[in-house]
Amino acid sequence: MQIDRRTIQNFDWLALGLVLALSIIGVLTIFSATRPAEGEHQAPYYIKQLVWLAVGLIAMVLVIKVDYQWFARLSWLLYGIGLLFLLFVLAKGRIGMGAQRWVSVGGISFQPSEIFRITFIIMIARYLSTEKTPIDIKAFLKMLPLLGLLPFGLLVKQPDLGTATTISAVFLFICLAKGMSKRLVVALIAFAVISMPFLWDIVWDGFLKDYQRNRIVAFMDPTVDPAGIGYHINQSKIAIGSGMILGKGYMHGTQGPFRFLPEKHTDFIFSSFAEEWGLLGSLVLLGIYLAFFLRALDTARKAKDEFGSLLALAITFMFAFYFFFNIGMTMGMLPVVGIPLPFMSYGGTAILSNYIAVGLLINVRLRRFELFY
Amino acid sequence: MNRALFLSTAVAFGFLVVIVRLGNLMLLDHERLWAKAQSQYQREKQIDVKRGVIYDRRGRELAVNLDEESLYCDPTEVASPRTAALEISSVTGMKYSDVLEKVSQSGGKKHFVWLKRKLGDDEVLKLKNLAPGGFGFVNETRRYYPNGSLASHVLGFVNVDNKAEGGVERMYESTLTNKGGKVVLERDATGKVLSQGLELESKGNNLVLTIDEGLQYIAETALDEAMRKWRADSASVIMMDPFTGDILAMANRPGYDPNDPGKTGPEGRKNRAIMDLYEPGSTFKIVAGTSAIETGAVSLGSMFDCSKGYIEAGGRKYHDVHKLGVIPFEEIFQKSSNVGAIQVAMRVGAGKYYAYAKKFGFGQKTGIDLPWEAAGRLPDLKRFNGASLPSMAIGYGVAVTPLQILRAYSAVANGGYLVTPHVVAQILSPDGEVISSFHGTRTRILKPETAATFKRIFSLVTEDGGTAKQAAISGNHVSGKTGTSRLFDPRTGRYSGLYSSSFVGFVPEHNPRIAMIVVFKGAKGEVYGGVVAGPVFSEIAEKAFAYMNVPRDDAFKNNLVYLGDENQNGVKGAPQWSRN
Repeated sequence: MQIDRRTIQNFDWLALGLVLALSIIGVLTIFSATRPAEGEHQAPYYIKQLVWLAVGLIAMVLVIKVDYQWFARLSWLLYGIGLLFLLFVLAKGRIGMGAQRWVSVGGISFQPSEIFRITFIIMIARYLSTEKTPIDIKAFLKMLPLLGLLPFGLLVKQPDLGTATTISAVFLFICLAKGMSKRLVVALIAFAVISMPFLWDIVWDGFLKDYQRNRIVAFMDPTVDPAGIGYHINQSKIAIGSGMILGKGYMHGTQGPFRFLPEKHTDFIFSSFAEEWGLLGSLVLLGIYLAFFLRALDTARKAKDEFGSLLALAITFMFAFYFFFNIGMTMGMLPVVGIPLPFMSYGGTAILSNYIAVGLLINVRLRRFELFY
Repeated sequence: MNRALFLSTAVAFGFLVVIVRLGNLMLLDHERLWAKAQSQYQREKQIDVKRGVIYDRRGRELAVNLDEESLYCDPTEVASPRTAALEISSVTGMKYSDVLEKVSQSGGKKHFVWLKRKLGDDEVLKLKNLAPGGFGFVNETRRYYPNGSLASHVLGFVNVDNKAEGGVERMYESTLTNKGGKVVLERDATGKVLSQGLELESKGNNLVLTIDEGLQYIAETALDEAMRKWRADSASVIMMDPFTGDILAMANRPGYDPNDPGKTGPEGRKNRAIMDLYEPGSTFKIVAGTSAIETGAVSLGSMFDCSKGYIEAGGRKYHDVHKLGVIPFEEIFQKSSNVGAIQVAMRVGAGKYYAYAKKFGFGQKTGIDLPWEAAGRLPDLKRFNGASLPSMAIGYGVAVTPLQILRAYSAVANGGYLVTPHVVAQILSPDGEVISSFHGTRTRILKPETAATFKRIFSLVTEDGGTAKQAAISGNHVSGKTGTSRLFDPRTGRYSGLYSSSFVGFVPEHNPRIAMIVVFKGAKGEVYGGVVAGPVFSEIAEKAFAYMNVPRDDAFKNNLVYLGDENQNGVKGAPQWSRN
C-alpha cells in the first residue's frame, strides 16, 4: 500500500486520537498509582507501558498496511495459531495470581489469550460473513464446537475467566448481529432456562477456583468479609467515592500508593483515576470512550462488505464489553473478574492486541471506498 | 429498527447507567467512603508530650518536668511470685499482699501491670540491683513544682497520668501539651508508617505568668503569719497591677502542695480568691459612693445626719458602730458609716444604683484565665424589695468573690477602667519564641474625675480618723476600704457568729503600682477589717515596694532624693527620682 494523500485523508485520525488519549491518560494514572513509598524507587510500570504502547502502535501500522481482506483469507490459519497458543499455555504456562495464563518468551511475559481473542474475532467475522442470513439451528450447531466450546473450554481450563466470558459474549453477540432465525432464538432461550441450574453447578463446582467463587460471593454481598473476599470491591468503592466532584488531584490519590486498592494500575485503574480526578474528570474520560465506541459503530455501518462490517462490530463489541464490565466491576455492579480497562490498564499483551484491533478498525474504515480486486 | 441506531442507543444507555452509578458513589456516598479512606491510612497516635514549663513574670521556673522511672511487671514472666513480692514490698514499702496479687497471674493473662508509678531514685537503684525476672522500668515524666505550695492555687497540679487538675495547668492544658500530644500518621495497607521524620516526642508550649515569685512569696509569708495570729478559717490575698489586670500574686489559706496534692483535702485545693462567695460588707460601699457622685445625686461636701446611730429602711434597722453625728459625704467612707451609705444609696435610687453595681461587674465572671471562677450573685432589679437597696448599700444581699471587689477598686486606682484580670502574660514555643501575648480589654465605667475623687476619699481611710490606719505604710499613701461582714452559714440558713474581715486598696494613692485585697474569714479575737486585714495589707505592700524599688511619696520632703549634679556641672538627663 502506498501512503498517499488519499490514505492520509481517509485515515481515521479521530479513532487513533481518541485511543492515544486514553493510553496517555492510562500511563499518567499508572505513574501516579504506583508512586513509591518514601525511601523506595518508582516501579518501572509506566515505562514498560510506554514501550508496549510503541510496540502496539507499530503493530497497528503493520495491520493497517495490508488490506483487511487478507486477514479474512488467512483466518483459519490465524485461528489455528491462536488455539495453539492456548494449548501452549496449558502445557508450559507460568502460574500467576492463582491462574495459569502467562508464558515467558525470551524473558518477556506474555499472555497468549490476549492474542487469541484477535484471531477469534477475525475467524468468527470471516465465518459468519460466508453464512447465509439468518443463522438457523443447524448452522449454529455446526459452528458451535470449534468456534465456541473449544476456545471456551481451553480458556476456562487456564483459567482465564475474563477472556472466556468475553469470547462467549462476542460469539453470541455477533450471531445476533448477523441475524438468527426465530427458531434458533427460541431454542437458545429454552436451552438456557432448562440448563441454567445444571450449568451453574457444573461451572461452580467443576470450573471455578476458590478465589473465583469467593469473588462472586463477595459481589453478591461485599460486607461478608470486608478484609477478605469483599476487599477488592470495598477498596475500589472507597477510592472512587473519596474523589468527589474535583478529585484529590493528580498525584494526590492515597488508596493506590498506600496499597489499599489492589490491582490499582491494572484492573482497578479506573478507581485510581476517579480518586484523583473526581466526577468531572471521570465524565471527561467516559466521554472519550463513548466517542470512540460511536466512531467504531460508524465504521461498522460504513464498511463496504459484510466481513468488514462484522469485524468492526465484533471489535467494537469486545471493547465495549471490556469497558462496561471493568467499570461495572470497579463500581461494585459486577463481580470481580480479571477484565482490564481497554487502553488504560497496565498490561503489555493487552495493549498490543488492543492496538491490533484498533488497526483492524481503521483498516476497515480506510478501505471502505476501495473496490475488490 | 435501524441496527446502527439501536446499537448506538444501547451504548449510550450503558453510559447512562455508569454515570448514574458514578454520581451515586462520588456524590451521595462520598462522605462515608471518604471517611473510610481517611480511617484506613490515617492513625492517631498518642505521643509522649512533655508539658511546657511555667515561668513567673521574671522567667523563674514555677513548674518543671522530672524524668522518673515506673516499675511494671509481666505476670506471665515471673518465676516465683512470692519471692518477688517479698523483695519488692521491702524496697517500695508497698503491702506484700497487694504486690503478690499484682504479680500473680490471677486468671487473666495480662502481660502488663503497673506496680508503682514514679519511683524515687534510691528505690530504682535497689530494685535494679535485685533485678527479679519479669519486671521492668518505664521512663515517665513527672511534673515538679520547685517552690512547693507557693502559688499552688494559680498553678494547679497534675495527676499521675500528667492530666491537669486545676489552675493554669488545667486552663492551658492544650497549650502546655500542644493539643493533647496526638499526631496523625499516614500508613499504608501493610501498616508501614509513611510519615517519616516525625518527632514522636514533643514538647508543649511554655507559659509566662504575670505572677511574680518574689511578690507571691511576700504575700504568702504574711498570710501564714496572720493565719497563725488570727486563727482564721480561711484567707485570700490577691495583688494586681490595677492598670493592666496582671495578677502579681494570688494566695489562699488553707493551701496545698501540688507535688503531693492528695495529702490535703479538697478544701486546701480551692482557689478561694475566685471561687469563694461572700457578702462583702462595707467594701461594697464603693458602688453607692461612685454612683452618687456620677449621677449627681450627691455632691462633695453634702452633709448626712448619722447622729441617731441607726436608720430604719425597708422595715429594718441598720446600725453604725458609733454615733457619728452630722458628717460630710467623705467621712461616710472614712469612718464606714452604714447609716450614711444607706442614705446615699437611697438618694441614687434603686435603678441607677443597680446599673452601677452591674457596671462594676458584680454578678458576672471577671474572665480571669483560671478554671471554675464563680460569677457571684446580684439580685435581679425586678425582685428588689424595700430592704434590698439599703442592704446592698452596705454590702449585704450580694455575693461576690474577692477578685471582683479588687477589680472594682482597681477601677478607681486606674482612672475609671474595668480591667480583665489574668495570670498568663505570654505563651512561648518550646524554643522560647513568643507565640502570643495577653492584651486585655478594658472598659471605662467611671469618669476620670470620679475616680480621682474616690482615690482621695479612700485615702482618708488610712489617715487619722479612718477605719484602717493599720493598713498605712511608711512613705507611700494607701487608699482603700475596710469591710467587715457577718458570715452566712448555708448549712443552718442563718448568720453564724463568724465574720469576714477584709481590706482592699491600692498604693501609692496618686500613681498606684499595686492594688490588693486581703480577706480573712472566721478570724478569732478581732473581727474588724481594719484590724485583721489592714496590717497584712500594710506588711505585704511595704515589703513589695522594697522588692519592686518603688520610690517613697515622701522622699523629696525628707531629703531622700538624689536630684543629680545638674546644679554643679550642668549635666542634663541626670537621674531624677522625685516626682511632683
